[in-house]
Amino acid sequence: MNVAQQAINGLVIGSGYACVALGWTILLGAARLVNFAHGQMYMLAAFICWFILTRSGIGYPLAAAISIVAMALLGVGMQLMMGRLVMTQNLTSLMIVTLGFGYILQGVAGLLFGGAPHTITTELVQQKIQFGDVWFTSQELLIFVVTLILYGVVWLVLQRTRQGAIIRSVAEDPKLAQLFGIDSRSVYIAIFVLEAVLVALAAVLVAPRTPILTSMGFEEVIITFVIVVLGGIGNVGGALIVGMLLGLFTSFFGALVTPAYTTAAIFAVLLAFLIAKPEGLRTR
Amino acid sequence: MIHYTNSVEVSSGDGSIGRSARYRKSASLLLMVIGCIIVYLLPAWLGGSTVVYGLFVTIAILSVMALGVDVVLSYLGEVSLGHTIFWAIGGYAAAIPSTTWDVNGWTTAAAAIALSVLAATMLGLATLRTREFVFSLATYAAAVVVAEITFNTDALGGSDGIVGIPPLHLPFGIADFTGRSSADLWPIAFALLLLSLGFVARFRRSRLGMQALMVQMNAPLATSSGLDAHRVRFLVFVVSAPITALAGWLYAYQRAYVGPDMFDMYFLTMMLTSIILVGTRILLASTIGVTLLLIQQNYLSIGGDGNKVVLGTVLVLMLVLWPKGLVRLIVDAIKPAVRRRQTVELNDGEVSLRKESARSR
Repeated sequence: MNVAQQAINGLVIGSGYACVALGWTILLGAARLVNFAHGQMYMLAAFICWFILTRSGIGYPLAAAISIVAMALLGVGMQLMMGRLVMTQNLTSLMIVTLGFGYILQGVAGLLFGGAPHTITTELVQQKIQFGDVWFTSQELLIFVVTLILYGVVWLVLQRTRQGAIIRSVAEDPKLAQLFGIDSRSVYIAIFVLEAVLVALAAVLVAPRTPILTSMGFEEVIITFVIVVLGGIGNVGGALIVGMLLGLFTSFFGALVTPAYTTAAIFAVLLAFLIAKPEGLRTR
Repeated sequence: MIHYTNSVEVSSGDGSIGRSARYRKSASLLLMVIGCIIVYLLPAWLGGSTVVYGLFVTIAILSVMALGVDVVLSYLGEVSLGHTIFWAIGGYAAAIPSTTWDVNGWTTAAAAIALSVLAATMLGLATLRTREFVFSLATYAAAVVVAEITFNTDALGGSDGIVGIPPLHLPFGIADFTGRSSADLWPIAFALLLLSLGFVARFRRSRLGMQALMVQMNAPLATSSGLDAHRVRFLVFVVSAPITALAGWLYAYQRAYVGPDMFDMYFLTMMLTSIILVGTRILLASTIGVTLLLIQQNYLSIGGDGNKVVLGTVLVLMLVLWPKGLVRLIVDAIKPAVRRRQTVELNDGEVSLRKESARSR
């Protein structure tokens, strides 16, 4: 086994995991909201990007941008419908509503794009970068760099800016924040749009690495769940670290044991963790 | 239809009130029996075709499946997204022993119950201290992982599943039941539905059922009155598992096949939508909900993906517009009329009272 190569693979997989999980982490950490349609939104964003790339002459960056804008609009629509549930912080209902949204998205994607697997082909996937006996593609480098930048920016905005403070105050108590003149409803819409944009961005970056299917949303979210719980509900830094660690775990488990049961092994880690420390790595 | 009235025995010196309550009780029992007979004969009256029997058996099976989730949702207030595991355990417990050792239906049913209780115990212990979305996340993740293991394990049939499940064989001592077609299986499916409804009705009135409600409504109060909230939540979760598993058990015999498609999101969405559509803490919610949804999917179908959109939309719209469900929506709609009638009766009573007092004067 080439340890260095597996480590590189692990970091690439891990940054992909972390990138997909970022939207959920913010949603949960900053707004105490859940979105079980996350996986299906990832799927839809990937399919929109694929559709534009194959049906028109538009290049990858523009196709990705259109896909992100489409998801942002979808995010506004979903949040407008869920408005009342969000304001009353009815988490149980929100969970089921978003699960329903996910199922609708899967049906719509099935109607529009069919059931066959597809691949998003970008030039970056084909460009190999070689250092000695380790190599990676330009796309993978892009995922790694963009993920780190996104986490840095999100952390700075949440902790160091007035907008971040507003978001955190709304998460603490939406009604009270309203008394202080903050339009909680708009803040929630903004956060949800951010979640939609981030998951779309993750999709157009990460999805080109593997074939895409309209039914993939179900599996796609599980790593996000594990990251969110292990990272300490809504802890941005924790999510990045756990994402990277899970990526390394996936890479080495796949190489040393079997790739077929990687998710099961990750879940075993989660279960052990839930028994030992049900509140997650949260420190605050 | 089965009606559950909270009839309270009133003992009075007169005895007539006690008798009338007893009459009411036996009348509702009679109505229940008649209702059951009507529902049982319904598929035959509707033509008795394979399609009709197939629909009725599927309604019964999916209602029982959702009933397990209903117990957790209605009495713990938690959303279990892991009940597809128990559903699949029931299916595989029917498939593997019956194809490998040719054992009868009682043995496979016992295996389904035992294995689902074991799985629920493990999952329940792991998620004991989690609540709300963390509980849902963990149960959902568990379902995805068990699906992946099933998909990749050849001993469980892998991605192909297990085909050639023999007809359901249930020896009853004096006579044997053997059934393959939906028409054959209808008595068993109907009996399973009645048994499950009876079990949940019993659970509602049981000590555990009451404790679960108390823990859900006011956990600190429950704890301060000496209840172990974790224990109650764990037990309710474990009790709910074999209900869903037995549904999966019969589903395997109906299809003569099991596969990883039992983990499909369809079943999960179906479980939740049927309950949300009708309302929580209503005994027949899953039965009515599944009936409505399956009628749409069978007779008003707009294709597999279209039906997904319909099912998801029903779920979203119900929670956004009428979160209490159809039954409470209807009850709320007719309540003003009932109240008006009661007021009229009250006024009549007052009038006659006044007349009487006037006469006595």
